[in-house]
Amino acid sequence: MKTNKLFMHLAAGALAVGLAGSAVAAEIAKPAGFPTRPLTMIVPYGAGGGSDQLARAMANSMDKVAGIKFQVVNKPGGGGTAAIPDFMLAPADGYTVMEHIDNAVSAYAKGDINENPATDWVPICTTQITFSQIYVRPDDSRFSSWDDVVSYAKANPGKLTMANLGKVGSMELVVMHQLQDALGIDVKQIAFDKPAERYGALIGGQVDVLFEQPGDVRSFLDAGTMKPVLTFLDERPDVFAEVPTHLEAGADFDALQRFRGFYVKKGVPADRLNFLQAACAAGFEEESYADFNRKKYMHLINSYRDTEGSIKLINGAVDTYRAMYKQLGIGG
Amino acid sequence: MVDFLAGTLALFGDFQTIMIFTFALFGGMLFGAIPGVNMLTLGAVILPFTIAMQPDHAIMVFATIYCAGVFGGAITAILFNIPGAPENAPTCFDGYPMTQKGEAGKAIGAAVSFSALGGAVSAVMMMAATPLIAKWAVTSFGPPEIFALICFGLAVSASVGAKTLWKGWMSIFLGLAIATVGTDPVGGIRRFNEWSLFGFETSSYYLSAGIHFIPVILGFFAVSEVLTQAQNIAQGTRERPKASMQLPTMAEFWAVRITAFRSMILGFFAGVLPGIGATLAAFLGYSQAVRWSKTPEKYGKGELDGVVASETANNAATGAAMIPLLALGLPGGALTAMMLGIFQIHGMEPGPLIFINSHDLVWVMFAAMFWANVAILGLGWIQTKTVVHILRIPFRWLAPGILLLAVIGAFALRNLLIDVWVMLLAGIVGYLLRRTGYSAAGIVLGLILGKLGESAFAKSMQLLDYSALGFIDRPIAAFLIIAAILTVVNSIIREIRATRGAKAATKMLMD
Repeated sequence: MKTNKLFMHLAAGALAVGLAGSAVAAEIAKPAGFPTRPLTMIVPYGAGGGSDQLARAMANSMDKVAGIKFQVVNKPGGGGTAAIPDFMLAPADGYTVMEHIDNAVSAYAKGDINENPATDWVPICTTQITFSQIYVRPDDSRFSSWDDVVSYAKANPGKLTMANLGKVGSMELVVMHQLQDALGIDVKQIAFDKPAERYGALIGGQVDVLFEQPGDVRSFLDAGTMKPVLTFLDERPDVFAEVPTHLEAGADFDALQRFRGFYVKKGVPADRLNFLQAACAAGFEEESYADFNRKKYMHLINSYRDTEGSIKLINGAVDTYRAMYKQLGIGG
Repeated sequence: MVDFLAGTLALFGDFQTIMIFTFALFGGMLFGAIPGVNMLTLGAVILPFTIAMQPDHAIMVFATIYCAGVFGGAITAILFNIPGAPENAPTCFDGYPMTQKGEAGKAIGAAVSFSALGGAVSAVMMMAATPLIAKWAVTSFGPPEIFALICFGLAVSASVGAKTLWKGWMSIFLGLAIATVGTDPVGGIRRFNEWSLFGFETSSYYLSAGIHFIPVILGFFAVSEVLTQAQNIAQGTRERPKASMQLPTMAEFWAVRITAFRSMILGFFAGVLPGIGATLAAFLGYSQAVRWSKTPEKYGKGELDGVVASETANNAATGAAMIPLLALGLPGGALTAMMLGIFQIHGMEPGPLIFINSHDLVWVMFAAMFWANVAILGLGWIQTKTVVHILRIPFRWLAPGILLLAVIGAFALRNLLIDVWVMLLAGIVGYLLRRTGYSAAGIVLGLILGKLGESAFAKSMQLLDYSALGFIDRPIAAFLIIAAILTVVNSIIREIRATRGAKAATKMLMD
């Protein structure tokens, strides 16, 4: 029974998409002789993770709106750097697209990688931009709000533990450094190498607080096993109307954000690049992708940037990182 | 019980679901049994297809592949000394000697029966206690406890597969050293990424991905086995193992009951802890079987008990590994991480709510895992009768196939060419290691646990204010560390006594 319904749903969906797809595809002019075969989408993280899900969702919607087939290839390792040589080896013909996140930007700012994402690559588009939050356990009797966390941290210097991704100079650590500086508190960072391990560490009581983006812990928020106490954003988003922002908490700085987007190498012929840009723009608006982003809380702030906007985003982030690294004495 | 019946009905209720279940079962067994590729390869290949599937089908496929794949890897371990996956490595120790003795049928028969038994019992325990155990495992086992458990695991498994205790420890330490290549788990600092050799300097982002244990296993076991056999053929010393059909007798089954029970408990326990999983389970099961045996000298020479110990334990870990995934949304390995992705692609998030929100789906998955293990028992016997005949294929035809699949398997892991080079290098090293008495399995164990252990140790140190004494304040960690130390001391005393005894015996003879 359920099978049939779902199948019909799928069939109807496919039909609708097919019709819509051909309509939209007609609007997006395909350049002569491109693409004649499926494109490769490199994902520098493992199958099933946040980047992988985004890449597959976008590949799916770009197929629907522009008829571009993608072969998604995961090349995980080295915190997203191991995939870069293969991307750089591929010819700049538009057939190889790479998904990457702001980690590439901080890695460049620090000197871990030589490729500048804004100039050596061309960002086709950025399709996920999100803010960070700090989470606690709802059943933790010590804190029910951000104020409690701050007074606990002040009463017990160096005792408050936070699960974080520990890579030196990461977005997480830079933002936390800015926050601690502004509020005069001392939070002990516990460096984790696998993102999901941190969730267990918070729920299991191994650490006191967690730094993360809401889309990644949505299941825990829905299940009531985690609770946000601070939002790193200029104003409170509707969904988290009860949670104060870092500005309200007294920390006056522009918080770095997490962003994920799609890149090709510099030197891709202009007509092919234009086609990919148009396909990404239309793919972002496409219903299944919009749904996907909503589920990940990516609709709370404007999550889309075109090539120019992405370059601005990247350059702004590079400046912030470099200034912070100078202050912290890291990188080269 | 009602839930389980409903899940079973949903599983076998319509033709399409049965077809998918059967496909996953055969796929898992096949990919597990072909040297070079494994269930992870199959998982990655079919991941895109699951997007279009019904959610319960998609999850069920992966759960079934998981059960079938862990079993399938035992077959190549027994027939060719090539474990299909790291958790089958200890199966080689006694499984392959049995094949050489012409008892392949017996070894595979035991692997089939006890894989199915271990898996089925684990599935039942998973159904009974998922939410309860999950919370306990995550609350009680923080980084210090995980680190202590890894120490204990290394301590009890050190001598496994090596000629002497010292060579066993050397192998483990070599593995631990290899594990440091790549990116460090705390600061993301790259280690050993730049090389200079005879003035030729090179640096590559590739190495930032580190040395993965899968290509190392393929090299150590598959490639080096091909090289060894090639040498034997060239020297004319190779004897083709007899493809025997003789299956284990009831008396033999009864004789290994205690080993099977012990491995079941160890396997389930190791499986529950995220990230530890089936590999440590198999090594623990095997080393404890040797430890408590009245005739430990027989192991490694074709003892049925050794096959049972390893295979029961690694399959008992399968059901247990689902517990943290389902109840808390915490994947413990690569395949469970893919399953987490499938849940999310279909708009579900594993966690406490999944038992309420996706109740039916969870029970279809539980039922699939239980029946997959039952099916292994049935199909496994048929497979035993057929697969043993692979031994009749001349090795010169089999060898190129094994090498080809090993290359594909190494590359398919992360689509990085570095893994292929690592595999080929490990193949040569493994070939040279064979006669030295060092343990290839020990190196692999050191490599796997080295990465996990370093990460756990680094986190522990940060949590415990960089005081190693902090481990003593935590009862579980303290208990495991003390047990590890006692194990090491005890094994050293035994080893020295044994060496002295042997020396004294030689002296007596000389006199």
